[in-house]
Amino acid sequence: MSTNPGHEGALPHDEHGGHEDAGMKRFFFGHVPEGVHGGLKQYGWLAIFLGIITLVEFLIIVPEGLQGSSVVIAPLVILSVIKFFCVVAFFMHLKFEHPLLWQIFVAGLILGLVVALSLVVLFGVLRPTPRAFSENRQEPFVHHAAEEEHHFEALVIPTPCPVGACPQPAAPGAAVASSPGQALFVGAAACSSCHTISGVAQGVLGPPLDGIGSASANRIPGYSAEEYILESILEPDAYAAGTADGLSQDYDGNLMLSTMAGVLPSLSDEDIEALVEYLLSLQ
Amino acid sequence: MAHVDTTHAPPAHEPSAHPPEHEEETTTGINHRKLLMWVFLGSDCLFFGSLIATYMVYRGQSVVGPYPKDIIDVPITTISTFVLLMSSFAMVMGVAAARNGNQKRLVQWLIATIILGAIFIGFQVYEFNLFRIEGLRYETNLFSSTFFTLTGFHGAHVTLGLFWLLCLTIIAMRNPAGRPSGLDVDIAGLYWHFVDIVWIVIFTLLYLIGGFDAGPEVEHAAVQGWQWITATIM
Repeated sequence: MSTNPGHEGALPHDEHGGHEDAGMKRFFFGHVPEGVHGGLKQYGWLAIFLGIITLVEFLIIVPEGLQGSSVVIAPLVILSVIKFFCVVAFFMHLKFEHPLLWQIFVAGLILGLVVALSLVVLFGVLRPTPRAFSENRQEPFVHHAAEEEHHFEALVIPTPCPVGACPQPAAPGAAVASSPGQALFVGAAACSSCHTISGVAQGVLGPPLDGIGSASANRIPGYSAEEYILESILEPDAYAAGTADGLSQDYDGNLMLSTMAGVLPSLSDEDIEALVEYLLSLQ
Repeated sequence: MAHVDTTHAPPAHEPSAHPPEHEEETTTGINHRKLLMWVFLGSDCLFFGSLIATYMVYRGQSVVGPYPKDIIDVPITTISTFVLLMSSFAMVMGVAAARNGNQKRLVQWLIATIILGAIFIGFQVYEFNLFRIEGLRYETNLFSSTFFTLTGFHGAHVTLGLFWLLCLTIIAMRNPAGRPSGLDVDIAGLYWHFVDIVWIVIFTLLYLIGGFDAGPEVEHAAVQGWQWITATIM
């Protein structure tokens, strides 16, 4: 057994380990002097511990019911934080180093977390989605070399307005929702990203919806206005109104379908009813 | 207990074989090179923090597949994660060997670290290639762009670390009585462990939690995360 008589309070610098159990406890949980390092025994046990945590993490998400569930987020995050700090404290031996090194690393870590959290809050919480944010502000793409433009035809996002003449997003405060349906139209449902309603929204892609409440009554024979609007939301491409409504001739038939695929799951039946009710009110 | 007790004397007692760690006097008492490495690692937290946040912001925003659940292989990545953890273990043993002046053991542990690190990179190359074959290219969707950027930069860090360790191994083999010093190996080890802890975070967020995302259905993932954070704190 190693006693390390020459260095009071310090673990021996022994690659092969061989410390007493008390030494193991002190290594992991006790106070040891700066610059002390462990050996095979200490690091071996830590490697086994980390391997077990990794296995537990994997086993947590083996049941199909838990895959992608928010229930597993907390235990997985806690386990990874434990692994993270075990590696930092012992493999990187920060536990046994000058406190200044802890401060430097933790400062960087906190700054990194603040940056990450800020980005998530800025783009994920304060705005519905980055996509909705950008779609409200998109400008048509025109390649600088006009003669090469034909190469990019397939990539150009169809827009009904020329460069510089796109309607601008409504001024702050202009779009104060007067009903739950209108709030959804300009908010969570993101309809206003594409559709225009005078005084409410300035979309740049889809047909304007002024008067849609009355216009939709005669759109498809046998369909009531409510049925038509509901179908237009749930199955946008079931019936295309054509250019009579101002629909861009460049309109890609799948555009609203693919856009709604990202929006519909977040809307409840009540939301959709409110939206239909609001659109019906546009006479 | 079998115990080779040849290392009670600090390495500094054998200056010819083990160059002293504190090669210069500093006001903090910390070697400048070591301090610099820790400052770099602190700043690298910002780098990876931004990339991870970008992935989380765009999580569930892709409108075309393949989505993570179509393509992410969690069991395989669990194995590669374990391999990288074990490479960290080999690295720390290499550092211990260097501090004890045991060049032979140092070379052995460094080679073990390099082999394990290369296996990890091999897993990543296999994964990237599989994704490419399945139709997930860098520009395919938001998931692929953010995923490849984050894991690609991590892979580049690991690859750089492998070259670093390879250089140390060659130096140790050519100079069995001297270089690299314990400090040289220590600093390389810090870098290596750092790529390990970054992977711990990536593995949890991108694979264990985000590996089952199914595209637009996972809308507002960032909001869910925010709600989880506020619910946990409050």
